[in-house]
Amino acid sequence: MALNQSKVGSSYPSYRYEVSREKIREYAIALGEADPRYLSDGDDCVAPPTFAASFTLTKGLMALLGDAELGAHPALVHGSQAFRWGARPVRPGDVLECTSRIASITVRGRNEFLTTVVDCRFADSGDTAVEAESVIVFLGSAPQDDAAQEGAA
Amino acid sequence: MSFAFTVGAELPAISQPSSLVTSVMYAGASTDYNPLHYDQAFAGQVSPTGAPIAHGMYSMGLVSRMLTAAAGGPEQVVDLQVRFSKPWPLGTTATFNGTVTEVADGIATVEVKGTAESGETILSGVGHVRV
Repeated sequence: MALNQSKVGSSYPSYRYEVSREKIREYAIALGEADPRYLSDGDDCVAPPTFAASFTLTKGLMALLGDAELGAHPALVHGSQAFRWGARPVRPGDVLECTSRIASITVRGRNEFLTTVVDCRFADSGDTAVEAESVIVFLGSAPQDDAAQEGAA
Repeated sequence: MSFAFTVGAELPAISQPSSLVTSVMYAGASTDYNPLHYDQAFAGQVSPTGAPIAHGMYSMGLVSRMLTAAAGGPEQVVDLQVRFSKPWPLGTTATFNGTVTEVADGIATVEVKGTAESGETILSGVGHVRV
């Protein structure tokens, strides 16, 4: 069944994410990172840029994909991903306020392309920490009677 | 910073294996527990290769590691976008490369690519860093 085009533009309730030193360390080790600041117990600890995946992709996208009205289904792949970072890396103790929205739904052949944006700001200053844009490809669910129509984005 | 961002310069490349261990570590670290990346029985049903494949974000993380190390730290990285074009099968090694294509107004543009053992491109994209 096709995704619900009327959900384009929808925003989802914002969520908070508290950055922890041990989660940064775990992420850095998983990627074989060498910068000692990622593993530091001191005030110099910062997160690698794509640590943003751990607070935007699952916590952010899951709420959105769990919206029954959207019509998401499990035959999906991660098509592309972009991160645009703010002026400084996230650090242990940072609290982030994140909001997810559906930017577009387009059709190409039998597949549907869902573009989502998660906007994460430092809760104390309101400054941008990162903006994450994901394209999730839903396989085989495009409406076939008007498959030529490019979505409503 | 030791790397000189000049047009045409190649970033120090990264070659990295993927395995059940790297997949489980990345799943735990990122909280992306999709069994496609470590469960043989599940992957047999849904994977494009019929077997577990690495997280796309694991490959993007390695690209970011390469870019960030060359730039001198996460403070220097402005943005990164990649397209995942082919799956990266577990048990194989992928290589990540970057080429500086432009330097202007203190920002370097780097085209990035991930290549599987088979020679197929698993990922391509572009990033910007402060220089």
